[in-house]
Amino acid sequence: MLKYISRQNLNALMDKFIAAGIRVVAPRMNAGIPLYEPLKNSNEMVVDQLPRRSAKEAFFPVCEEIMSYEKEGQQVKLTDVDAARFPETVLVGVRPCDAAAIPVLDAVFSWDYKDEFFLERRRKTTIIGLACTTADDACFCTAVGLSPAETRGSDLFLAPLDGGGYACESYSAKGEALIAANGDLFSEPNNSKPLPLAAPQADKIDLKKVKSWLDEHFEDPLWDGIAVRCVGCGACAFVCPACHCFDIVDEGTEKAGKRRKSWDACGFWKFTHHASGYNPRDLQPKRYRNRIMHKFKYYDDKFGQTLCTGCGRCVRICPVGIDIAAIIEEISKKEIS
Amino acid sequence: MSTQSLDTSIYTVITEAIQIEAKRVLSEGQVSAIVGYAAARRKGSAQPIIITDAAGADKLIFTPACVNNLAVYLTKAKKEIPRTGKVGIVVKGCDLKALIGLMGESQLKREDLHLIGIPCAGVLASTVQPATELTAESIASKCCECDAHLPTGCDYLPNVALPPGPQLENRYGVEIARLEALTPAGRWAYWKEQFAKCIKCYACRQVCPFCFCEQCLCDRNKPQMVDTTPRPAGNTAWHIVRAMHLAGRCAGCAECERVCPMDIPLNLLNRKMAIELKELFGYEAGFEVNDKGPLTTFTEKDDQSFIK
Amino acid sequence: MCDTTNTNIYLPYLTTVTEVIDETPDVRTLRLVFQDEQVRDSFSFRAGQFGEYSAFGAGEATFCIASSPTRTGYIECSFRSVGRVTEELRRLEVGDSMGFRGAYGNSYPIEEFYGKNLVFVAGGIALPPLRTLIWNCLDLRNKFGDITIVYGARTEADLVYKRELLEWQERGDVRLVKTVDPGGNGPEWDGKVGFVPTILEETAPSAENTIALVCGPPIMIKFTLPVLEKLGFSDEQVYTTLENRMKCGLGKCGRCNVGNVYVCKDGPVFTAKQIKAMPMEF
Repeated sequence: MLKYISRQNLNALMDKFIAAGIRVVAPRMNAGIPLYEPLKNSNEMVVDQLPRRSAKEAFFPVCEEIMSYEKEGQQVKLTDVDAARFPETVLVGVRPCDAAAIPVLDAVFSWDYKDEFFLERRRKTTIIGLACTTADDACFCTAVGLSPAETRGSDLFLAPLDGGGYACESYSAKGEALIAANGDLFSEPNNSKPLPLAAPQADKIDLKKVKSWLDEHFEDPLWDGIAVRCVGCGACAFVCPACHCFDIVDEGTEKAGKRRKSWDACGFWKFTHHASGYNPRDLQPKRYRNRIMHKFKYYDDKFGQTLCTGCGRCVRICPVGIDIAAIIEEISKKEIS
Repeated sequence: MSTQSLDTSIYTVITEAIQIEAKRVLSEGQVSAIVGYAAARRKGSAQPIIITDAAGADKLIFTPACVNNLAVYLTKAKKEIPRTGKVGIVVKGCDLKALIGLMGESQLKREDLHLIGIPCAGVLASTVQPATELTAESIASKCCECDAHLPTGCDYLPNVALPPGPQLENRYGVEIARLEALTPAGRWAYWKEQFAKCIKCYACRQVCPFCFCEQCLCDRNKPQMVDTTPRPAGNTAWHIVRAMHLAGRCAGCAECERVCPMDIPLNLLNRKMAIELKELFGYEAGFEVNDKGPLTTFTEKDDQSFIK
Repeated sequence: MCDTTNTNIYLPYLTTVTEVIDETPDVRTLRLVFQDEQVRDSFSFRAGQFGEYSAFGAGEATFCIASSPTRTGYIECSFRSVGRVTEELRRLEVGDSMGFRGAYGNSYPIEEFYGKNLVFVAGGIALPPLRTLIWNCLDLRNKFGDITIVYGARTEADLVYKRELLEWQERGDVRLVKTVDPGGNGPEWDGKVGFVPTILEETAPSAENTIALVCGPPIMIKFTLPVLEKLGFSDEQVYTTLENRMKCGLGKCGRCNVGNVYVCKDGPVFTAKQIKAMPMEF
């Protein structure tokens, strides 16, 4: 059901949640960088910039403890993390490219073994998406079948209106419940026209065709051509809304410490390095190939989805200008034998 | 706030000149490959490129978006680059200082390189879009105190005179003075806040020409010197370890700061180290190969005042 | 896998080391008993599955469960110390606590092997992933036809499960062909001398109604598969296990994939047919 909410009321909604102890995460400026972070008050929210990092960290933090250990003689005591402590959260102002990636991640985090660190946070979070009215030439959501008004992943979706305020529509039971519980802040739609949506200069790419090529070209000079400039950092994976690889390490002393999981990246040399010294992905082209394959083939093979939402962050952040949109465009133009 | 434009008409001339030179040395077989810059998809952007035949020379460009220090591709950390003969490389003054440093550390031999120098008026800061005009505001901070506009000792340097540019505020100098005026507690609070932003992507390390160790000390786990997770204590240790490992070696190309996804002002650490090294040991990165790095040798006259 | 109300998939079970056996100068076997009674009574697994073993403070290491599922009340792992975690595991003594997460991965489809002959081919420290199945089959001996084991190592000292090799040799219902590399035999060596693939060819087991299970270093696999092909084994009759760098062991951390195959979920047990369909990334 379509509703209207003014910016003032949206702020009031967020402040109401904050006062009730609900964590409100939205884009805010942190030392000059826009990031999705918990707000202290609604005035902190900025809606005119794409956050530097994605919203995945509301569900999949950069680093988190998964258990702690204590040794006493020959005994060890393990302490679990209390999932109940993950706070009730409302994510506000989430870009379509960020919101659409969250249900994509559901697949891997529920594959047979349920990762409650991710899933409990999912259950406790309501996502309020926001349509984009600006884009730069790194944005390519339209190339991967999404758009600046994509509602997938959002419980509630806001489209900015001419004259201020937002058209608001719910897409899930959570969204409906939020509107119902805060009915006084939402009103019937007025006659305002939506602001023109952003128009990323990225034509739709036939991802099936890209996958067909990837199915047959594990070995190909393309990989050397692209990856020769990749320096093997993790920036692309870390800013990506869909990348989810992680490391598990023990940190502490022999007597006591914590086991943590933290973001990892297949671009790192160390990622697949065996203790014996052997590394099946010993050169950067092999590592970079894995990135493209995982996003545009393996995740489809396993879960029927593409592991990319076209946000363009990796394109903007890559130290050496590797452009994933240009790569899949190039692949889509190749002959499929 | 000054938004004086810098005269970038010379870039077109330079681009043509390096294309001709590249075509020449490749077709004559003088080099097996050239590491340079080419245009990328995004408007105004540039990316590193390796070309191995004369036909590819037309792809080479030089513009204010040519920010990368290409020296990183010649270190032993990048095993993918074919080094079957002499290699040509496009170098700005700051990039050349890094190559000189690598020669001093026996990582490269001058006779294996064909240096294509660039008279450079400056490149864009990482905080602006690639299609931005080069102005006193959009220029990279490192360019504000550059003393290497004309790299010397190259095999080829386009015959272009650099137009006079506007006076640029020495941003690093101002910020270092500001930090030096703080108390140690104040400085610690500043850096604690900066390092807390780090997500351990290692972009800083991976683009640095001097981080060429085949296995970084911090990637080893026997022993685990520095925690790998992105947490404040480990992050602080990581950045301090890196700054110390670069002291006396860093050429000031500021790539580390450019590539940091979290805008941590990493080059401030390296600039501060460089100031200390100049004061204590008279050392400065430059265009002369120095095979006795200040922290790899000692003399009896060395300052010992820090030993309390 | 066992009954548990725990929802943290990364939380290990606690086990106590009840036995430490030095198989070779650098390979050790640990026998572990779950500390929680309920876990101890309900834990079950299938041959071929693996676990993540914790040396708290150092981390986790991935090994197959080397004991047979038919022998309940304990599990075993055998490993060589190559890195930080395995070195830490080597410092454990009887009575020490250790962590275990698992059992993970797929397993040998043992029911499909009923009524067939089995040929086990292993080299060096790669016997453990087959040893679990060997004992599983020997404990259900009458379900299978002929059982042949071809096992070799560089030298006599490098053979693992020496006590069990003797048992297998002495049993009347198993044919054990043990070998060492040329030069690896001591003065009292009573086995063959030659590389495993060569000795396998010599042994020439029939491929008729037979399943071959191979485990060894890549170089041994490389030369063994053609021998099996020569002996008439089809790619679907040959099974092997893969190992790869792992962390979570349960399909999430994105590290162990070979192409679109996750070694921790789709493996570690594969047929030669599946191996040949994989990209060269292992």
